[in-house]
Amino acid sequence: MAAGPQLTDRAERESRWRDLMESSQQGDQVAYARLLRELLPLLRRVVGRKWRSPQDVEDIVQDILLSVHSVRHTYEPARPFMPWLMTITSRRIADAARRLSSRAANETTVDIMPETSSGDGTKNHDDVSNDRQDLQMALSELSDGQREAVELMKLQGLSLEEAALKTGKSVAALKVTVHRALKAMRASMEKKN
Amino acid sequence: MSGTQTERLIEALAARAEPVKRLPHPAWRALIWMTLASASVIAIVLYWGVRSDLAQKLGEPRFVIEVAAALLTSMMAAAAAFCSGCPGRPLWERFAPLPFLVVWLASLGAGCWTFLTSSAATSQAFGIDLTCSQLILVLSLAPAAIMFVMIRRGAPIAPLTTAGLGTLAATALAAVGLRFFHAQDTSLMLLVWQFGTVLVLTAAGALIGQWLQPWQHPRLEGI
Repeated sequence: MAAGPQLTDRAERESRWRDLMESSQQGDQVAYARLLRELLPLLRRVVGRKWRSPQDVEDIVQDILLSVHSVRHTYEPARPFMPWLMTITSRRIADAARRLSSRAANETTVDIMPETSSGDGTKNHDDVSNDRQDLQMALSELSDGQREAVELMKLQGLSLEEAALKTGKSVAALKVTVHRALKAMRASMEKKN
Repeated sequence: MSGTQTERLIEALAARAEPVKRLPHPAWRALIWMTLASASVIAIVLYWGVRSDLAQKLGEPRFVIEVAAALLTSMMAAAAAFCSGCPGRPLWERFAPLPFLVVWLASLGAGCWTFLTSSAATSQAFGIDLTCSQLILVLSLAPAAIMFVMIRRGAPIAPLTTAGLGTLAATALAAVGLRFFHAQDTSLMLLVWQFGTVLVLTAAGALIGQWLQPWQHPRLEGI
């Protein structure tokens, strides 16, 4: 029977992760790093069932790791480890889905931008100059962190990962920063117009 | 690449893996909450003074059943709130206060039925009594504050449920306290203005309280 060894493997894995978590709670950094690394393939697989984009999968996996770290004191070694981990995982997947749907509600994806009389080509010199001034004004009203994120990603054209490395922020945090910065700039420019 | 980023995240988290104080068992936490919350309610009841007919009321089975059911609802809701903040615990624990809530409601319902079918039932026997609602609100403030401080130590895996159960624990305890000094014994009034207030405050607490339990991630500079 193939199920026999598989069940033994699972039981062995459960027991190992339980021990590693117990050691991690006592401050064993080596055990903790090993546990998190061993969790990675499983988390990627579980998240990958719901999300297609590898970038999204990695973002959510990072979020789950942060959540596991934040609530590691809630694990009771007398109880099984997998239900504890999977409850956190499914909660964070649901949170990510909620975040995505609220983001999708605020964004419109179009293949070809519509031609309008407000396009740069149809503007006179004064209009373009005013737009630039408004944009610079809106940019200057942002916090330092938001301005840096917009400059790196929208003006210098860096990818999320590159900008994350440069700013020292996580990809997820940077995404939120840019989203909020653009929202603030839009509000500022709408107020002026 | 994101994989590299994840590897760096693991290294950063491992470097911050200080020893943690494990969360005590939910039953133990419920006991601690009950002790602190009861102390605050008892202090207010004693300050305002117990009702003059308390000894007589304690001899009435319906009064005792109603108060005991409300108290057990509070205790079980507190334990359930703490359980719902521990990942991996069985879901049935969240329904633990339900049987006692039903007994509490049934005791009030039976009283209402007896009253409505008796000759004493008059339209004057029912009216607006916002005092009950205000007193429950005042009595439940300290228990609710203690509860929300305590549930923030758990994991926000079911914030709406946790906040709802926590508020139910606080308001049910306040309703128990109210019965010891507020001489309102008409079951219909108790059902609407006391039990009703408990339900309304529980719903409000669940909606507001869910925002008081964010995921508290560590600040990781350089990741």
